[in-house]
Parts: sequence; C-alpha cells; structure tokens
Amino acid sequence: MTELAYPLAVMLFPGGLFAIALGLALKGADRRLAARLQGRVGPPLMQPFYDLVKLARKRTMAPDIAALPVFLGAPLVGAISMMLGAAMVPIPGVYAPDPILGDLLVLLYLLAVPAVVLMVAGSASGSPFGAIGFSREMALMLAYEGPLVLVVAAVALRTGSFSLADIVAYQQAHGSFLFDPVMWPALAAFIAFYPANLGIVPFDIPEAETEVLEGPLLEYSGPALGLFKLMSALKAVVVLSLGIALFFPLAPEGLPGLVAHLAKLLVLMLLGVTVVRVSMGRMRIDQAFFFFLKWPLVLSVLSLAAVALA
Amino acid sequence: MTILQTLTEKARNIAVRSPWIYRINAGSCNGCDVECATTALIPRYDVERLGCQYCGSPRHADIVLITGPLTARIKDDVLRVFAEIPDPKVTVAVGVCPISGGIFRESYAVHAPIDQYLPVDVNVPGCPPRPQAIIEGVAQAIAIWRERI
Repeated sequence: MTELAYPLAVMLFPGGLFAIALGLALKGADRRLAARLQGRVGPPLMQPFYDLVKLARKRTMAPDIAALPVFLGAPLVGAISMMLGAAMVPIPGVYAPDPILGDLLVLLYLLAVPAVVLMVAGSASGSPFGAIGFSREMALMLAYEGPLVLVVAAVALRTGSFSLADIVAYQQAHGSFLFDPVMWPALAAFIAFYPANLGIVPFDIPEAETEVLEGPLLEYSGPALGLFKLMSALKAVVVLSLGIALFFPLAPEGLPGLVAHLAKLLVLMLLGVTVVRVSMGRMRIDQAFFFFLKWPLVLSVLSLAAVALA
Repeated sequence: MTILQTLTEKARNIAVRSPWIYRINAGSCNGCDVECATTALIPRYDVERLGCQYCGSPRHADIVLITGPLTARIKDDVLRVFAEIPDPKVTVAVGVCPISGGIFRESYAVHAPIDQYLPVDVNVPGCPPRPQAIIEGVAQAIAIWRERI
C-alpha cells in the first residue's frame, strides 16, 4: 500500500492531475483579473485549459538548425520536474510529503530546473532571440537564486530542519512565521523572488514578448509549447505552495485545510502576481539584476543573521 | 469508434476557443495595422474574451491577419513567415490592399491580389476596415478554423 502512495502523490493528488488543474485555474484567474483591472471583460476562467487542448492538436515544427533531441526533450524534462516538485510541497493539514520523496534541498534544485530548461531550449533552438533569452534567463537566475537559498536557509535554521513537513509542524506548534518579526526580512525577500521565478512582468525579461518575441519559446509550437505552458502553470503551484509552507502554513485538518490552502494560493497569485504585473512595466535586465543584488539579497542575509542571533 | 469520434469532436470544440492571432505586414501603410492593434489591444473591443491572444511568434499562431498589398521587396519574407506558421491555420486579408491592391494597384512595386501566393480564407475590405469588421473577420476565421483543427 505504502509503495503505491508515492506514485499516487506524484500522478494524482498533490502533484499530477490535481496540481495541473490547480495551476491552470490559477493562471485563468490571473488573466481574468488582469483583464478586469485593465477595464476589459477578459477570457473565460478555463482559457489556459482551452489553450492546452488547442496546442495539443497543432503540429510541432522545429527549425532546421535546432538540436532536435534537446529541443524536444527540454519541455518534457521541465514539465516532469515540476510535476515531481508539486508532490514535494505540503498542503498544511491535508498532505505532508514523505521525506523519501525529497526535502527542501531537492525542491530547491527542482525549482531551478525550469529556468535551466528554458536556457537549454533557447540555445538548442538556434534562434538569435532564443540566445538572447538564454543569456537574460541566466543573468536573472544568478540574481534570484542567491536570495532564495538564503531565505530557505533562514527558515531551516529557525526550525532546525530541511524537511518541509517538519517546517509546517514547527509553525503549527510555535505560530506562523508571518507574525514573527525575525522572519519578516525573509518574507519580503521571498515576495520579491517569486514574480521573478514565475517570469511575470517586472521580471519577464527573458521571455519579453515585445522585445525578444518570447525568447526561448519563440521557435516552439504545438504540443512542445503546450508542455512549456504546463510547466509554468505547475511552477506557479509549486512556488506559491512553497511560500505558504515556509511562512503561513497554519490550517485546519481535512477539507477546510484544503479550502484554506486554495484560498491562500489564490490570494498570493492575485495580489503578488496579477496586481504587480498590470501595474508595473518591464525592467531592463541590468535593473533587475541590481535590484536583486540590492534588496532581496540584503534582506535575506539580514534574516539569516537575525535568525542566527535570535 | 464512436467514443473516439465524440472525444475528437469535444476536443475540437474546446480547441476552437483558443485562436491565437498573428499579424503580417506585407507592405501596408500602417493604417490597417493601427486598426488591428486597436481591435484587440484596447479594452473597448477586447477580443481576449473570445480566447484570442496576439502572439509575437508565427510558430504560435492559428489565425493570420495579413495587411498591405504585398510589395515586391517584402514578398519573399512574407511567404517565408507564412510557411513558418504550423497547420492548421486560417488566413484573413485585412484591408483592401491584399484583396486588390487598393490605391497601390497596378503599381510595378506591388504583387497585389495576395491570393495568387497565399490561400486567403476571409477578406475584410476597407481602407482601413472598422474594428468591428476586423472582429467579424476573426469570428468567421474561427468558424473556418473549426473545420480544420
């Protein structure tokens, strides 16, 4: 029975189908609210799902100069990594990931995979826009990975464990980190980090549509592009759930816990992603790079020091 | 067999709700392009409610809006970009220029009726066409696209 639990976790409940549906719904809500904030009607909530079905029925084309196995393998690796990642983040009160699936450190590496995959895809496509996207993605990743690792280290130092289940349990015993002044710098750094990781407007520099025509995604079409869309929807679920687990995992048991989790995800998505992306313009890559070196990095170092001293 | 057919039919009904639009400027005076941009991008005629989305890459496109009389200089590039669009696709000729050449007809620099080179599915005449006409053209293109996807 227990052997069956892990594939189920990856394929069906916290990961897999559940996470896909959740990610697509979050994306749909994001697009809908963005349209409303701009005074438009906006697409139906199910629009990302329609897009995926459409892309599955289109033909995949590859450039003549593309490195074909890498070009077509990259989206697959990205989507699978995020599907695994979705099984590793807890849903407080409902699902605690078994340490055997992987702890916070494994999740950190998995979270880096989509960015790496985009870089690989951009360079394998052989397109000059892909190459620009590649270099920008790399610069951005160098800038935001540091603060993320330090934030995670601060939380782990505070709770004394790298297991997400332990981190959630610690906060359920000692109160959530949202109300702990020592953790506020880490929380602020995380809030600055996740728009960059999700690739939305102030930090969507590698995929900037109006500048580099979606960069690494430029040459993709059909099902391969659909896998990238799937990857980004799953990534939203993983990153936001990670934020919830790290900073405010207090939730009742059972079904109310699941509802509370969904509500938190929606709030994080709409406030932290939608409102930010419709109200800001895109930064240049150098501005984004120095922004991350200036604020989130300093904040995360500060929080690590505060936790170490407290 | 019938289950497969119903599933395919269902998938087609869903897929048809996500037409992505790509614009090709085949030497247009920019009048129609301004109208195209106004049609979809301003809140008033929001076509995102139909599921449409402007895309920057021809590889993502389903519906192609072509403006301009296909000037001699740009002809090869337009044909090449058109070939980059994955099937199934639908072509909409926006403005009178791709249909007849408009005020540029009979010019030595223009290969005017664009359907000599590309399969045009919907014509939206006008100089420039009204946004409502472009939206109707896109709606007709979606109906045609439904038969192809």
